[in-house]
Amino acid sequence: MRGHIHPISSLIREANRIFFEMGFTFAEGPLVESEWYNFDALNVPKDHPARDMQDTFFIKGEKEMVLRTHTSPVQVRYMESQMKAGILPPYRIIVPGKIFRNEATDMTHEAEFFQIEGLVVDTEVSLAQLKWTIDTFLNSLFKNVSVETRFRPSFFPFTEPSVEVDMRLVGESAPEKLRGKWIEMMGAGMIHPNVLKNAGVDPSKYRGFAFGMGLDRLAILRWSIDDIRLMHSADLRFINQF
Amino acid sequence: MKISREWLQRYFEKPLPDATPLADALTFHAFEIDSIENDILDVKITANRGHDCLNHRGIAKELSAILEIPMKGDPLRQEAALTPKTEEVSVHIQDSLCTRYIAGYVRGVKVGPSPDWLRKAVENIGQRSINNVVDATNFVMFDIGQPLHAFDAGQLQKNTENGSLYKIGVRRARAGEKLLALDDREYTLTDAMLVITDHNSDAGIGIAGVKGGKPAGISEATTDIIIESANFDGITTRKIAAALKLRTDASSRYEQVISPELCAYGMRAVADLIVQVAGGEIVGFADVYPQKQQQKAVRATTAEINAILGSEYAEADVASALTRLDLEFTKQADAFVVEPPLERLDLTIPEDIAEEVGRLYGYDKIEATPLPPMPSQPEVNPNFYAAEHAREEYIAQGYSEVFTSVFADKGERVIANKVDGVRPFLRTTLVDGLKDAYEKNRLTKDLLGLAEVKLFEIGTIWKGEKEHLMLGIVDKDGVREEALSTMQRGVASMHYENVPLSQAERFQPFSKYPFIVRDIALWTSAEVKPEEILKIIRTNAGDLLVRSEKFDEFKKGEKISYAFRLVFQSFDTTLTDLDANGRMESIAKALKATGFEIR
Repeated sequence: MRGHIHPISSLIREANRIFFEMGFTFAEGPLVESEWYNFDALNVPKDHPARDMQDTFFIKGEKEMVLRTHTSPVQVRYMESQMKAGILPPYRIIVPGKIFRNEATDMTHEAEFFQIEGLVVDTEVSLAQLKWTIDTFLNSLFKNVSVETRFRPSFFPFTEPSVEVDMRLVGESAPEKLRGKWIEMMGAGMIHPNVLKNAGVDPSKYRGFAFGMGLDRLAILRWSIDDIRLMHSADLRFINQF
Repeated sequence: MKISREWLQRYFEKPLPDATPLADALTFHAFEIDSIENDILDVKITANRGHDCLNHRGIAKELSAILEIPMKGDPLRQEAALTPKTEEVSVHIQDSLCTRYIAGYVRGVKVGPSPDWLRKAVENIGQRSINNVVDATNFVMFDIGQPLHAFDAGQLQKNTENGSLYKIGVRRARAGEKLLALDDREYTLTDAMLVITDHNSDAGIGIAGVKGGKPAGISEATTDIIIESANFDGITTRKIAAALKLRTDASSRYEQVISPELCAYGMRAVADLIVQVAGGEIVGFADVYPQKQQQKAVRATTAEINAILGSEYAEADVASALTRLDLEFTKQADAFVVEPPLERLDLTIPEDIAEEVGRLYGYDKIEATPLPPMPSQPEVNPNFYAAEHAREEYIAQGYSEVFTSVFADKGERVIANKVDGVRPFLRTTLVDGLKDAYEKNRLTKDLLGLAEVKLFEIGTIWKGEKEHLMLGIVDKDGVREEALSTMQRGVASMHYENVPLSQAERFQPFSKYPFIVRDIALWTSAEVKPEEILKIIRTNAGDLLVRSEKFDEFKKGEKISYAFRLVFQSFDTTLTDLDANGRMESIAKALKATGFEIR
């Protein structure tokens, strides 16, 4: 008898398959990260109120080292390494991986969870292409239902303009509880020129977009999971349903 | 921030739409709305708009642009004359973290309850009405965003020796300096903080940008007041508020950085309002503004805006959007040169202008546009390839994948500030987590119908100052781990292997209560299929039977013995033996009645 894959692994496998077809490389980076990559390089300067937006775990006795609060540091690491290797854009990557928030845990909050990041850099990249990319991904992921998305204005220091992306499942085959309801899915936007600059990419020549969404949340929606803590429970009553 | 529809209406002749359409307009063109209650909108002002939108005027401005309803007047586009000047009060700024300080001297006020409209206005947005003078300062702050404070001049030292009668100072606090604030608590300051002082006596009368001091607070007996309309460095204010655990409406505005130009508008408005609601006469103003705010024009072309948004706006569309947003511009060749108004400190790069145009027209107007094909094949990530390979290898052998926590009670690296305090180390091994998981799952294996618990985890550990990606396995033979080797699982391929996805449709919540296992065995003739017996068991077991299966059989002559394992569990209570016995009796009875011989 076969064993069971963790739902997050299945989602990552599926996301990677969809994005691979669209030309995206799976990139990764360290979980213990420097404040430079986690914040400064992403246009979140020291003492900026935006640093309060994320409750950060600091490593004791190691100056300016944190557990990464998002997968976005890999944007900068990837672009930097490509530029150093003499490989110019276009770049397309996804970064699925674990991230951390210094929070007390309950049914909807976890201290460790998973995110997937996407990044596209090219001479011509637009918000309209971001919309297409997200639409294509979500429609492939929610196979039998139709997915609609909408953008709302938002703010992230590392994107300008920034948007919040809502999604809704429409059509007869959508689960009744979710059908037609707008759900907040991810943050996204056009990469801030300072981020490109910090990664060694010339913002006067290149533009990009980036998006990041919680995989735990996506799994919760996809399979109607009622408690986020199940993800790290290692409980086969949960895992063996997948 | 709480925004009142009634307050907003003060800015418009035309009646505003209801709160819900106002909320929608803001949601799709500016800010998220946390809640709407009794015509009060809780608006989530983003960190880039704290400069101009933490007040009703800012939101009115947004709504005017979005809904194309003209404003009656915009206080920040009118002159705010600080006249007359007075020599009776002087300002002494001794630290550049204070970028501007205006003192306004008003004599002969009568402190008392606020008029109804003012009391209601502040109470509607969740503030406590204090008295007419204090309410006036709060009203102007929530109206146009400038924090303000009033001191009782009668509590300040008078000394005309060095010029003016009253002197207001701004200096660094001395380490250990104590200040009794308006909240009746004494704060111990550090030399990283700024204080407002009665410069004649050098006594602290306020924590700069955060809170006023008790000794010079407004009381019923106050007749002469000195109003503060000042600007303080955002980072410093944020640090002071954080260090003192005293975040106030004033500090939360300063920490977002507001324009020092705003001080004049705030002072003019509050001085006039105080005279209106508390009487008295304005003696005059003293303004120290060492370095005037410099704002740079921002250039953006229509082509650039369209390239960022993926839109097809015409020149006229861009011009119209900027006009609606009250962003003055000139045209230089094909570029719009935007002169941001004094409060819009967020507009600095062409992308900011693209955002203004894009959000005003609505991001729903943006049509999805395909990415062009990628000229090169994506790379195969060796770690992910190896992980996928290992995953499939173990799943094929009946192992299930778990994730256990990276936090442990021992290790080499430790979290300095873990909020819950427990298991602060980063794990050096997958072994401990897997052992726990194995033991936990062993207790529920009957419920799942598992003969054996077999788990694996692919996860990170921290050992020898490095991160390692490990593969850990646990089963009845014990627990072991190894580095996830990309070598062994060689990545020669240009593609990932085609491995199956989860086929699950929907998660079924499971009971958290303990379950009870019972076996039942019976003799039957060889023609009877176990499925038929299971059917009888299931119809007579009631709804507490969560699992039933045949686990044993043997033949003796013409007869067969079948043994079935039954699992009982409730969703809302712990079952007792009595509960299970009752069910087993019903089952046995039904089986006997059908003619089976229970062993």
